[in-house]
This record gives sequence, C-alpha cells and structure tokens, in this order.
Amino acid sequence: MTRLTLGCGAILRGTVVIASIASLISSPALAEPPVDLSKWSPEYVRSIAGTEEFDTAEACGKVTPLDYKGSLTFWYQGVFEGDPDLLRQYYKDFFESFRKTYPNIQLEEQALTYNDLLDKFRTALLGNAAPMAVRLQILGGTEFAAKGYLEPLKPEDVGWSTEDFWPGAMKAVTWDGVTYGIPTNNETMAFIWNADIFKRAGLDPDKAPATWDDVVKYSKQIHDKLGIAGYGLVARKNAGNTPYRFMPQLWGYGGGVFDEATANPTYKQVQLNSPESKKALQASYDMYVRDKSVPVSALTNQQADNQPLFLGGQLGMMISHPSDYNVMLDLQKKATGSDKDKAQTVIDNMRYGLIPTGPDGKRAVVFGGSNIHILKPEYVDGGKVDEPAAKAIICFWTSPEWSLKMAYAGSNPGNLNGFKTKWMKERLDNIKFLDVTTSMLPYGIPFPALPQAPEIMNIIVPDMLQNALTGAMTVDQAAEDAAKKVEDLMGGGGL
Amino acid sequence: MAQPVPFQKKQGRVAVTIVTGQAEALRRSKPAQSSMVRKVWQHRADYAYVLPAIVVMLIVIAYPIYYTVDLSFFMTPPGLQLRDKTFVGFDNYTAILTSDVFWTVTWNTMIWTLASTVISFVLGFATALALHRSFMGRGVMRAILIIPWVISAVAASYIWKWIYHSDFGVIGAILVGLGITDRPPNFIDSVGTVLPSLIVVNIWREFPFAMIMMMAGLQTVPEQLLRAAQVDGASAWQRFWHVTFPHLSNVSTVTILLLAVANFNSFIIPWIMTGGGPSNASHIWITHIYELAFGRQRWGVASAYSVLLFIILMTLGYFYVRALSGEKKKERGA
Repeated sequence: MTRLTLGCGAILRGTVVIASIASLISSPALAEPPVDLSKWSPEYVRSIAGTEEFDTAEACGKVTPLDYKGSLTFWYQGVFEGDPDLLRQYYKDFFESFRKTYPNIQLEEQALTYNDLLDKFRTALLGNAAPMAVRLQILGGTEFAAKGYLEPLKPEDVGWSTEDFWPGAMKAVTWDGVTYGIPTNNETMAFIWNADIFKRAGLDPDKAPATWDDVVKYSKQIHDKLGIAGYGLVARKNAGNTPYRFMPQLWGYGGGVFDEATANPTYKQVQLNSPESKKALQASYDMYVRDKSVPVSALTNQQADNQPLFLGGQLGMMISHPSDYNVMLDLQKKATGSDKDKAQTVIDNMRYGLIPTGPDGKRAVVFGGSNIHILKPEYVDGGKVDEPAAKAIICFWTSPEWSLKMAYAGSNPGNLNGFKTKWMKERLDNIKFLDVTTSMLPYGIPFPALPQAPEIMNIIVPDMLQNALTGAMTVDQAAEDAAKKVEDLMGGGGL
Repeated sequence: MAQPVPFQKKQGRVAVTIVTGQAEALRRSKPAQSSMVRKVWQHRADYAYVLPAIVVMLIVIAYPIYYTVDLSFFMTPPGLQLRDKTFVGFDNYTAILTSDVFWTVTWNTMIWTLASTVISFVLGFATALALHRSFMGRGVMRAILIIPWVISAVAASYIWKWIYHSDFGVIGAILVGLGITDRPPNFIDSVGTVLPSLIVVNIWREFPFAMIMMMAGLQTVPEQLLRAAQVDGASAWQRFWHVTFPHLSNVSTVTILLLAVANFNSFIIPWIMTGGGPSNASHIWITHIYELAFGRQRWGVASAYSVLLFIILMTLGYFYVRALSGEKKKERGA
C-alpha cells in the first residue's frame, strides 16, 4: 500500500504541511468571524448567547502582564444625562475591575460627553496635551488618523482578531489602508412608539409605520386628533443626536451626503442636493412647518429632551436605543403622585420596531458606536506613551466581557464574541426590545470614513435642516447650500 | 526789503541757534530726567511687586495675541494638522468680510451688545435710584436683586432654556393654563424671536452689575448739594438731572464700557441655550469664532475674526481707560 511505502522524509514533509495549514487557519489572517453574520436574526442571536466562556484577565494578561507597573492617561466618551442608571453602574464597575486586575497601573481617566469630547480633544492635541489613549465616537477616528495623531493599532495588537469585529466598524478605524483603532461597541437604533397614543389617534397600535411617508402621515394624524407631537424630530446643531435621526431618513429616501449608502463608497460625488435627498428634507419640512406635528423645540432639542416628552405621553414616536426603555424606567421611579401612574402607562405601551423604509423599500440606520485609540507620544502630555498600559485598558474594554457590559443597555458589543457570553443571554432576558435593535445591525451604514465627516454630520447637515425648517431657505435652497458647503469643505476651503 | 543773509553766515547762525536750543533743552530736561529716575527709584518696591504680574501677562496674553495675529494670515485646512498651514496673506480677512454669515453675525452682535448694554444700564440705574432711598426691606431687596448676577451663567442658561422651552416651558404652560394662548409661544426655536429672548436673559443676568456700580456711585453724590438744591426750590427731576447725574457721569461711562466689553465677549448664554441657532439667528461673534475654531477647525479664519474682535475691544478699552483717568483727574481736582 502506498501509505506503507512512504519514507520518513515524506511523513515529515506531510506533517509540516498539515501543521502549516492548521496554523494559517487559526492565525488572524485567515480566521473566521466568531459568529455567522449571514445568519443574523433575533433567533440566531439568542441561539449563540451564553455558549462560550471568556476570561478577560487571562486574555489581557497575555498582552500586558497583570503585574505590569506603569501609568496611563485615558479620556473616554462616557455616560450622559440621556443614559440609564444601569450603564452608569457598569462604567463604575469597569474601572474598579481594571484597577483590581492591573493594580500597578496608575490610571487617570476622564469622562467627557459625546458633544464635548471632540472639541476638547482637538484643543488638547494642538497643545500636545492629549491623553495616551482615547475612546472616541465612531465619527472621530478617521479625522485624527488622517491628521497623523494616532498610532497604528489593530485588534491583533491587543490579543484579538480583526474578524472578531464588524467589518463596517473596522472601516471606520481604517485610513489609507492602515488600522488606527479598535471598535468598542456598535449600535443601531430602532423605531419606538406609544401604542396607546396610536390607538387613540385611530392607528393600529401594534404596527410601526412601514415607510417614512407613513411617519409623516402618522405624525399628522396624532397631532390633529390628540393635539400632541407625533414624531420626535431632532435638528439641533453640534449634537450627535441629529445625524443619527436624520441620516436613516436621508438614506431611506435614496439620498446621502455622498455614496456612503452603497456597498463600496468612493465619497467622490456630493449627493445632498439630489432629488432623493431633497425628498427626505421635504419630509422633515412637512412635519415641522406644514403639519406642525413635531415638537416645536426640535431645533434646540436633543434626544434627552424627547425622553420626558415621550414619558409624559406628549410624543407618539421617536428613534432611539433600546436603553430608552431603561431610561423611562429610571424616570418613572423619580416621578411622584399621578405622574408615576401616567409614566407607567406609557412604559406599558412602549413598542419597538424596525426603522421605516423609504418609498423604494430601502431601510437604513446609522452604524454607530465608538472606537479606542493610542496617541503618538509627541502629542501626549509629557511626551511619552506607556504602550503596555494603554494596550491593557484597550484589551480590557474590547474584550467579549466588557465590550458587552459597557454596551449593556444602549448598543452592542464591538467584539462579536460578546454575543456568545453569558452576559448577552442575561441581557436578552433583561433588556426589553434588544432583539429589535440587534435586528437593525445588518441595515447599518457607517458615516463617511473621511476626516471631514464630523463637520458634515454635526454642522452642515443640522444647518441644512435648520435653514429649511425655519424658513430661512426653501427646501431646495437649503439642500443646494449644504451640498456647496460639503464641496467647499472637501476642497479644503469654505466658511 | 530785507537783505538776504549770506549762506555761510546764515548757516552759522542756525547752527548756533540749534546748539543754544539743545543746551537750553538739556538744561531744562536734566532735572526732569533725574527727577523721573529718582521717582522710579523711590517706587522700586512697587515696580518689583507688579513685575511678576507683568511677566505672567506677557506669557499668557502677549504671546497668544501675537500667535493669533500670525495665524490669521494662514489657511488651516480642516483635514490637516495645524502645522500644515499655508500662508495666504489677507485672504482670511477678505473671506470673512465677503461672506454672508459675517454680516448676519455682525448684525446679531451689534443688536445683542447694544440692547443688552443700554437696557441693563438703564434698568440697573433705575433700580439703584430706587434702592438708594431708605425704606423697610431695602437690604433684602438688594440681596434678592443681586442673585441673577451671582449665580452661574451656565446654570442660569439651563434654567432659562427650560422656562422658554417651546413645548413644555414654564412661560408657555402658564400662558396656556390661563387660556391666553392655545400653544406655548415659540421663544428660542424661531429666527425672529430667538435673539430678543436671549437678550432678555442677558439683561436679567447683567442689570444687577449696573445696579451695584450705580449704587456705589450714588454714595459719592454730596448730600448737602442735593439739600441746597431742594432749598432753592429744585424739583426732584431737576435735582437728579443737574446734581445727581453729573456726579455719576464717570461711573456711568465706566459701567457702560464694562457692560459693552462683557457683552461683546458673551459666550455662555447663547452657546448653551441655542448653540447660535436656529439658522445662525443667535450666533454672535464669539460663538461663531468658537464654532469656526473648535467645531470646524478653521483656525486661520477664526484667528482673523478674533483679531477684528480684538481691535474693537481694544478701542472700547481705550475709552474705558480714558474714562477712568478722567475720573481720577476729577477726584484730584475736587
């Protein structure tokens, strides 16, 4: 038999080949994603939850020894007034756990809110006074990578694999083919409505509006019948809440800032003034100006202002995280007298559904989240970066355990292995409507991966909305004006 | 007709005149110089005391001013680091002066500064006059009226935002509750009402400052003059106009200038309450500069804006110093 006639040399060669293939498969370069993204559904998410155990200290100890002595300055986008108490507790637990695991790393952490972090970080960079590591909103990574402030950093550098993270999230930390950060969490929002308000307004209480045109109609019907706001429009400038609520509408109608909603965006052609984009803007105009069916305060509001309106039964629909359910529970606990009962009625009638589609059935949502980065020493206060200490906290935060816990109520773990943990199973049981937001993940569209994206999303898009909604410009003019501003910005100029 | 003086002779005479003139000047300035040196020497301890403050000011004020002026001549593309700036001469100034936003923001700034300053001063002065008279509860009234000025501007902005809120604001709830309107009025979400609404908040916060200044000024008006005028049959208005007001002219100037400078630089109220919106309707220079620099990273343009603002504020500062020195001269004269 052939097998028996093989010489020792052949056996040795064969063993080497097999061993090489095995090592290639297990290496990050050829690693398979830990979850099957093609099967993504609430059932699939439930089926994988609680199927694997992870030991964070053991995993991170391989990156930075647990007895490592060092110091670290770290800024992060932390909790804010619109977050539930549950999340505050997890943030507290995270830093306690990190200090316990790495007792010899002297950590100086600083929490900043979403709207303040970018401004403060940019200012610190100008004075070479940045922290050694930073956790930024998904919009920010490309800007700072493009400007050369960040050290290359990929999941493999902290013990994970690139395939452990959503491909869309990895795009947001990649600039010019180099990876400059690791996603900590990824979020997609959902559509929330009050079933009782729907019923009283003559709408089907168990059915979310199917399209954005339906949202406009439902909003008007709620307002006309009940005299309250229908849809929780948000159009404040310099607030992350605005693009997170308007971009799904823009993409749904087939518009965009560029071609970011396509599979392989090139970001070459500005599309804010396309007929589809104008239709999306027109829908907001119709709700705010024509029908007056949304909060008048939309121009100065953030989502945190919509929450009490919703809880007070003064708002029919809004876009938000699953955490809004927990926020409502927190707010209800603080209410007194008859307000408490009213709030309970709203909570009982709270429903979550998929974000509506555009006229052509296009469904989209912002693929949001945050990333964590290491700064180059020359921009850091003191001129030095304690890399092992920085890697320790990054490994910790992006671990299956903590990337899930830190996103417990609001979003989803950046590390896909987080979906397999026992905490995910517990979360599915505790966090109502989580299924819906995880179901929105495949519809997620990342913001354009460009250094100019923060200005486009936080200033130009809200400006366009405000110009149209206040009557300072017509819908056409506002869209053309915004498109010109984006063109000027991309050309390096413009005021 | 006078005979022309020969050149040599004339030149010599001129030279002599100059020499004698210089000697005269030297004779006159020598004691003056020695007296100045002596004065400086006598006050050497005073100069030593202020020296650290001057050094600190040079570091934290003079250098940033120099850097801002320098940066105003560079283009700083938002996608690049600041060190990648390119020299563009006066282009940033031209871009500012030819942009529509600049004129909107400048108009807003003028209205904001003028209305806030004038109304705060008039209200503060009127309150000071009322509180200058002795009546029961005057001390309590004074304490209450000072509250808006002493509380944090950030806290005040959030409270007023809630008071004005277009959906569940306090004013709106009261008006709807009383049946005066069907819907809460739109204060800060409309381009037409946002700036006046913010000015009201600013006046509410600033008038106690004017009140305190004018109350201090009123203490300096000689009581005997007022009594004499009263004996001579002067009416209350005549006593105010001919006796009280002239005595307060310098303190009034100083108060108005300080208010104007503070209002030009006012940032917290508009930024927190509206962020300059909606549609730039409440953007004033300082909030616009902040947004250009920190939100949009147009450091060069923001610096050029700052230089323009600096020139305006320095002009106001010049008048402030003149008003102060006028007051001192007057005090010395008295």
